[in-house]
Amino acid sequence: MAGKSGRSINAEQKITAKKLLFTWEGALIVLFILVNIFNMNISQSYTFANVLREMPKYLAEMFMVLPMAYILVLGDIDISVGSIVCLTGTLTCYISNAGAPFPIVILGCLAAGLICGVINGSIATSFPELPSMITTLGTQIIFRGIAEISLGGGGSVAYNNTKQIMPLSTKLGKTVPVIILVVLVIAIIFTVVLQLTTFGRSLYAIGSNKTSAFYAGVDVQKCRFIAYVLMGLMASMCGLFLTAYTYGANTTTGQGFEMEVIAMCVFGGIASTGGKGTLIGGIIAGLIITLLRIALGQANVNSQMILVIVGALLIIAVLIPGIKGKIDEMKKLRAAA
Amino acid sequence: MSESEYILELNGITKIFPGVKALNQVHFQLKRGEVHALMGENGAGKSTFIKVITGVHAAEEGHMYLEGKEVHFRGPKDALDAGIAAVYQHPTTYPTLSVTENIFMGHEIIKGGMIQWNEMNAKAQELLDRLHANFKPSDEIGALSVAQQQMTEIAKALSTNAKIIILDEPTASLTANESEELYRIVDQLRDEGVSIIFISHRFEDMYRLATRVTVFRDSQYIGTYDVDKITNADLVKAMVGREISDMYPKPEVKIGDEIFKIEGMSRTGFFKDVSLNVHAGEIVGMTGLVGAGRTEVMESVCGITKPDSGKVFLGGKQLKVKKPEDAMKEGIILLPENRSTQGLILSWGLGRNVTLPIQKKLAKGGIFNDSKKENELSKKFLEEVDTKAVTIFDPASSLSGGNQQKVVVAKALAQDNMKLVIMDEPTKGVDVGAKAEIYAIMGELAKKGYGIIMISSEMPEILGMCDRVYVMCNGRVTGCLNREEASQERILNLSMEHSSNERQEEAV
Repeated sequence: MAGKSGRSINAEQKITAKKLLFTWEGALIVLFILVNIFNMNISQSYTFANVLREMPKYLAEMFMVLPMAYILVLGDIDISVGSIVCLTGTLTCYISNAGAPFPIVILGCLAAGLICGVINGSIATSFPELPSMITTLGTQIIFRGIAEISLGGGGSVAYNNTKQIMPLSTKLGKTVPVIILVVLVIAIIFTVVLQLTTFGRSLYAIGSNKTSAFYAGVDVQKCRFIAYVLMGLMASMCGLFLTAYTYGANTTTGQGFEMEVIAMCVFGGIASTGGKGTLIGGIIAGLIITLLRIALGQANVNSQMILVIVGALLIIAVLIPGIKGKIDEMKKLRAAA
Repeated sequence: MSESEYILELNGITKIFPGVKALNQVHFQLKRGEVHALMGENGAGKSTFIKVITGVHAAEEGHMYLEGKEVHFRGPKDALDAGIAAVYQHPTTYPTLSVTENIFMGHEIIKGGMIQWNEMNAKAQELLDRLHANFKPSDEIGALSVAQQQMTEIAKALSTNAKIIILDEPTASLTANESEELYRIVDQLRDEGVSIIFISHRFEDMYRLATRVTVFRDSQYIGTYDVDKITNADLVKAMVGREISDMYPKPEVKIGDEIFKIEGMSRTGFFKDVSLNVHAGEIVGMTGLVGAGRTEVMESVCGITKPDSGKVFLGGKQLKVKKPEDAMKEGIILLPENRSTQGLILSWGLGRNVTLPIQKKLAKGGIFNDSKKENELSKKFLEEVDTKAVTIFDPASSLSGGNQQKVVVAKALAQDNMKLVIMDEPTKGVDVGAKAEIYAIMGELAKKGYGIIMISSEMPEILGMCDRVYVMCNGRVTGCLNREEASQERILNLSMEHSSNERQEEAV
C-alpha cells in the first residue's frame, strides 16, 4: 500500500560547514577561540603550561557538569549537588583519618555519593509530581546539615595523611595532571552515552514530552533514577578530587557549586526546560568559563568580578536564541512579501 | 450593495505568514440571522480566516464590511466591541475561576472601582438560564465538562451582546448528546437574531444547522453553496479537490480465531467488570459517551494505568503487563487519543518519532542508536501512510492534524511484532481527505489479519468500519452489537441505558 500519491520523503540529512557553525556548539567553539585570544591579551602568564598547571583547581566541578546535563535534558534539576560535595569530602577525610587504606577511602567516598544520588532519585521517582527544584532543595539542606554536624564546632577537618591522597593530584610524566585524564575519560563516556545510545535518546524523549515518551514505551522513572544516581556519584568524584587538592573539607566546601554547574550547562545550550542541547556544548562552555577564571585570576582581577562576567555570559547565552528566532522570522516575512 | 442583506462581508482577503500565503483572495458573506458553515481540510485557511475576522491577525489585502460599513480591526478588542465573538474548540478558560468570573473576564461590571459581584452573578445566571444550562455561576470552570465550558464561552459571547458568534469546531470534543444540546443552543441563538459562523469537520453538524456553506481549499476560496442543494459527494470534492469514492472502505475479511480477550477487568472509579474479545482480521468498535471508561480500559490493557483486577489474554496466553513497554513487546500497540501530548514529541523530527518505540530493537548491540537504519525504516513507513512532508527531519509540529495522525499510524506500523492495534479516536480533528486515508489503512491492517480496536465517539465511522461494536456506559459494557444489528438508535440507547436507570434509582 505504498504511498498512493507516490510522494517521496527525503531521508538524507545534508550537513554543511555553514550549518554546523550556526549551531550553538559551533558558536561556542568560535567563542572558545576568542576567549583564548582575549586571555592572552590580558595576561602575560596565560601559556599552555601555566593553564595546564592551574586548571585542576577548577576542573573538579567539570565532573558534575556531565550528569547535570542529563538531569537538565530530562527537564529536572538537582540543586543538592554542592552539599553532596561537602558531605563526601568531609567523609573522605574522616575515613582516612580513622586509618583506612586508600582504596577503602575512595570506595567510601563514592559509596556516599551513590547513596545521596539514590536518595534523590528515590524521592524524584516515588513522587514524580513534585518539582525536583524543591525536593533537591530539601536534600541540599539535609546533606549539608549532616556534613556540618559531623564537622562539629570547628567547622573543618583536615586530611592528615596527605601522602596517601597525593596520587590524585600528581601529574603524569610531570606535565599532565591526573584529574585532566580522569575528567577526559569520563566526559567521553558521558557524551557518547547521551548522544549516541538509546538511553540518551530516551532522556531527550522524556525532556521533550514525558507523556509521549511513556506511551512510546520509555521507562521514564527508571531513566530519571539512573540520572540522579549518576549525579550523586559524580558529585562524590568532585568531592574526592577537591579534597585531594585542598587536603581537607569545611562547612563551605562545595557551596554554590550547584548553580555554577547549572550555569555551565545552560551556557552550553542545555535548556533547563528539558530536551535540548548537547553535552559537547556543556563541556566547551565549562572550559570557556574555566579558562576565563584562570586568565582573570592571573591578571589579578577580583574574583567577584569573574562572577559578574560569568553571569553576563549566561544571560547572553539565554538571549541569543530568542534574538536569532526574531531575525529568522523577519527574513521569512521579507521572502514571502 | 443593499445594506440589510449581509451583516458581514469580506472581499479579497489575503494574509501572508512567513513563507506562506495562508489566505489568497478569499471572499465571505454572512447574512443576518444565518447559520453559515465554513468547511475545508486542515490547513485550508479556515482558522486564519476566523482570526482575521476577530482581529487577531491583520490581513495584508482586502476589505471587510460590517453592516455595510468598512471596518479595520487593530486587535481582538476592536472586534469584540463591534459585536463579533469567537468560541474555540478548546475553551480558553481560566480553570480555577468561577463561571461568573470567566464570563465577565475583561469586561467586569465595575462601579467606583469595585467589582459588582452580585450584579455579575445575577447577569451570569440570566445568561445560563437563557441557554438552559445545568450548572451554576459559582461553579469552578475546571470541574465542568468540555460541553459546559463551551456553554460558558457562548454565555461570555452573549454577555458582550455579540451580533456575530463564531464557533470553531464546537462539536469536536463533544459526545452525540452534548452535540444535540449545542445544536439546540445554536438554533435558539439564530432565532434570537444572532448570526453564526461555524467551522466543523462533521458533515452532520452542517446538515443539521447551516443553510449555506463556504468551502476553502489550499488557502483559496472555492465557493459558497446552499446546504440543501449540494450533494455530499460534490461537497467532498470541493473540499478535497478530488473525488472520494468510498469513505469507509471496509474490506470483506474472513474473521479468524480469537486473538485477544479481556476477562472481568476492573479499576475502581473508572470501569467495572469489563470483558471483551477481538478476532484476527476484525475491527471492533468501542463507543459510548466521553467518560464512559473506554479509553481507561485500553490504558489499563497497555500498562499505562494499573487495573485492580481482571485478566488479559493475547493469543491464548495470559499477559502480565506492568508498563507500556511490556504491552508493546507482546504486540499490543496503542495509538493514543491526543496526538500532541501523548502520541508524538512535537519538537522532534518525524523519523525519530516513528522509531522511538523500536529504537532498542534497531540499535547496534541494543545500545548504540543506528541512525541509518532508523532513517530508512521511518522513510518507508511514513511513505507507506502517505504523509505530506518534505523530509523525515521535519518537526512533527509543522504538520497538520491529519498528517500528524498518519505519523502516529506509521509509528504503530513500524512495530513489526504488532498483533493488536488499539486506535483511540483516530480521526478526531482530522479532515475528510485524511480521514478516508486512515480508514483505508485500517482496512489494510484488517486484511493482513491484525485485530483492531477503534475507540470512537463518531457514529458514522463506528457504523461504517466496525464488524462489532461494544458500547460502554458509566464504566460498564452495556452491550455488544454485530455489524448487522448496529444502528444509531441502538447504540445511543445502550450508551445511556445505564445512566438513565441510575438516575431513576436515585429519584426513587
